[in-house]
Amino acid sequence: MSMAPGWHPVALSGSLDPGTSAGTHLDGREYVVWRDNSGVAQVWEDRCPHRGMKLSFGFVRGDHIACLYHGWQFDRGGRCRYIPAHPDLEVPATITVPVFATTEACGMIWTTTKAEAERVAPPPDPGETVPIGSLHAACGTEGLLDAVRAMPAAPYVAGTAGGELSQVVGTLWRLTVAGDALLLGLQRLDDARSALHVAIEGSAATYAGAGQAHWYQWIRALRHRLNAAPAVGARPAAAMAEAV
Amino acid sequence: MALVLYNYDLDENCYKVRLALSMLNIGHETVAVNAFPGREQETPPFLAMNPMGTLPILKDGDLTLFGAEAILAHLARSQDGTGRWLPVDRDGFAHVMQWLVFAAGELSVATRARANALFGTPGDEAALRAGAGRAIGAMEDAMTVNGFAGQDWFAGAVPTVADVALFPAFALSRDFGVDHDEYPALRKWARRFRAIPGFVTMPGIPDYH
Repeated sequence: MSMAPGWHPVALSGSLDPGTSAGTHLDGREYVVWRDNSGVAQVWEDRCPHRGMKLSFGFVRGDHIACLYHGWQFDRGGRCRYIPAHPDLEVPATITVPVFATTEACGMIWTTTKAEAERVAPPPDPGETVPIGSLHAACGTEGLLDAVRAMPAAPYVAGTAGGELSQVVGTLWRLTVAGDALLLGLQRLDDARSALHVAIEGSAATYAGAGQAHWYQWIRALRHRLNAAPAVGARPAAAMAEAV
Repeated sequence: MALVLYNYDLDENCYKVRLALSMLNIGHETVAVNAFPGREQETPPFLAMNPMGTLPILKDGDLTLFGAEAILAHLARSQDGTGRWLPVDRDGFAHVMQWLVFAAGELSVATRARANALFGTPGDEAALRAGAGRAIGAMEDAMTVNGFAGQDWFAGAVPTVADVALFPAFALSRDFGVDHDEYPALRKWARRFRAIPGFVTMPGIPDYH
């Protein structure tokens, strides 16, 4: 199975400070997600064209990212602008890093890896969100959704709505639990692994602190379930309870 | 000088002590030990100071100490007039002790994973890497939850010796194939840690950031 065209979440917005970088994967390929000092997020191929070093190991200076190996600096367009070993060189325009469309919505950083996908509208932004956390698991995105469906969830804010999991668009899902609405971003890392990014719709006034801790506990329980559950021969919870 | 550190530059446990000495601005003398390939720390003069044959070892006047976490606690207790690095209030002390013991215990699999990767010491590479990933994952969970409460450090509102003891395993984890991708809370914590006055690097931890 390969990845559908469209937008894919690569990180929670809050997990990346201005002036920092991180590595990630989409469909088995390596990407660097970085924010320049003004806070603009970028997603690029994670490879310096000089010696192939991961740019995610590099460092951000202003609106440039520099490779850790030899300090080659690249501007926002992915074009190399400065080579420290040749400070007077007018760097050829052909030295570039592939740059992918990037946007932020639903408390997450999104990218498209295919040119045609860039014409697909990015996920609709519901307004204020509060970050909860990201979960990485050794299963596909369908496996993540199955685990979410099977996972009991207690609301932080009471309400009348029941538990409902629905697809918003492409890789974005919404889980409603009483008064809470969680936004779930599904990221296919490679054939064997995927990530789930979780933010909650609502204000920091409501969810910052205790509400975040409440839902992070749910993510940990979900991770426990995913790590512990063998596909075949899993003991039902009732049998476990009896055994105890 | 009264304070002597027996040190090997590539040993992350020695690095913990070098960090503390620098951050607490403690004057000292360093003795370079030929740990690799010489295994000098396993020769009788060193075994007399530490029967387990490991580094670091600290001599403070007539006191000889081995074990990085014990040395960190001793340095904070004896040299830090502010009391911030080893707090004595109930929660601060309890959390510092918990993470110091974690650093010397559960997290030591990271040291073994790195020694296996860099120096070829015996061990099951995949199992060591997975164990180190689990321990670092526990740190990520802790700092994520601390972050929800607005707490920037492992044991409270300010850095303590617990942060010093925990930093090297995370900062050097790429040496044994555990990338930083999945640990956003630790990435932020490490960035704050690097900004503490007196921070120093070691081989494997870039100067630039």
